[in-house]
Amino acid sequence: MIGVHDFCGHYDWTFEYLRRLGGEELVARYWREAIGFDSQRHALQLFLAKGIEGMAEYWGHTLTLEEAGYRLSRNQDVFRLDMHACPSKGYLIEHGLEAYPDYCTHCIGWIGPVAEQAGFQVDHEHNHCGQCWWELHRNAGEEARRDVREQAGADNVEHHPRWPMGTHHRFRNGKPES
Amino acid sequence: MSSGDFYFAINATFRFIHDRFGMDGLRAYWRELGRDYFRPLSERFRDGGLPAVEAYWRDFFRQQPCGAAEVIREPEQVRIEVRDCPALRWLRDHNRDVFEHYCDHCRYVSEEIADQAGMRFELEGGGSQCRQRFISGRDAQP
Repeated sequence: MIGVHDFCGHYDWTFEYLRRLGGEELVARYWREAIGFDSQRHALQLFLAKGIEGMAEYWGHTLTLEEAGYRLSRNQDVFRLDMHACPSKGYLIEHGLEAYPDYCTHCIGWIGPVAEQAGFQVDHEHNHCGQCWWELHRNAGEEARRDVREQAGADNVEHHPRWPMGTHHRFRNGKPES
Repeated sequence: MSSGDFYFAINATFRFIHDRFGMDGLRAYWRELGRDYFRPLSERFRDGGLPAVEAYWRDFFRQQPCGAAEVIREPEQVRIEVRDCPALRWLRDHNRDVFEHYCDHCRYVSEEIADQAGMRFELEGGGSQCRQRFISGRDAQP
């Protein structure tokens, strides 16, 4: 029986299995179709029905269940998530697991398409050390985005001493920045 | 306690692989998962014997967010009486369509785990209630 207690381990293993089977294209399709629009369809329903409040509801529930270290900030135009201690990547680090070399990208792999379907743009950066930030918005201006960063204050992960560590991947409008 | 919502992803993963690669592709995924990802678990079972099997499954069910099962160690086997499968309970309680072959993964994954540990695995039942047995010795007779 496959359980949820080591889910992140066999999830990571599955990414690599699919990559060997059908390349990165199959992995991206898996994140989008199986995770985004099947497994996490309750996220899309909340984003569509309640917008930014739905995001707060979704991540408040999910990250509390997963016992994450995080901060949610929002105004009427922008939703921001600062992740200080990702339980998922943290599990892999703690257990020395890395079947697939870019585990962190699975989040943007499903959140990006789901947010886009709900009419939101996604900006995101992760450091592969269990830390990341997200901003979901509808063409929000710099002032609204500065506001959520100020709300996050000392919990803005970009101010964390460990934030510069690791390899950073940054995405704008759901697409990787070169 | 682990997040039960991860069952949504397990269910969706099985459906995704089945829809693209058919039942043979899904069985191949389960078998390789058992052989490769769970290799350290097979080694624990091989080294620790039935007490290690018993300890793993007791801990396993303690960490699932719902369901009910009894783990019984007998002289030649560990018997797991699943009274209320945690995965199916969570999926049904959250109104998810359970992938029609969901139960089959237990057989294919655990057969590989047991085989690599020098044991034999047998399963009876399904659909929320089943009996699973890890039996000492690959060549032990049923």
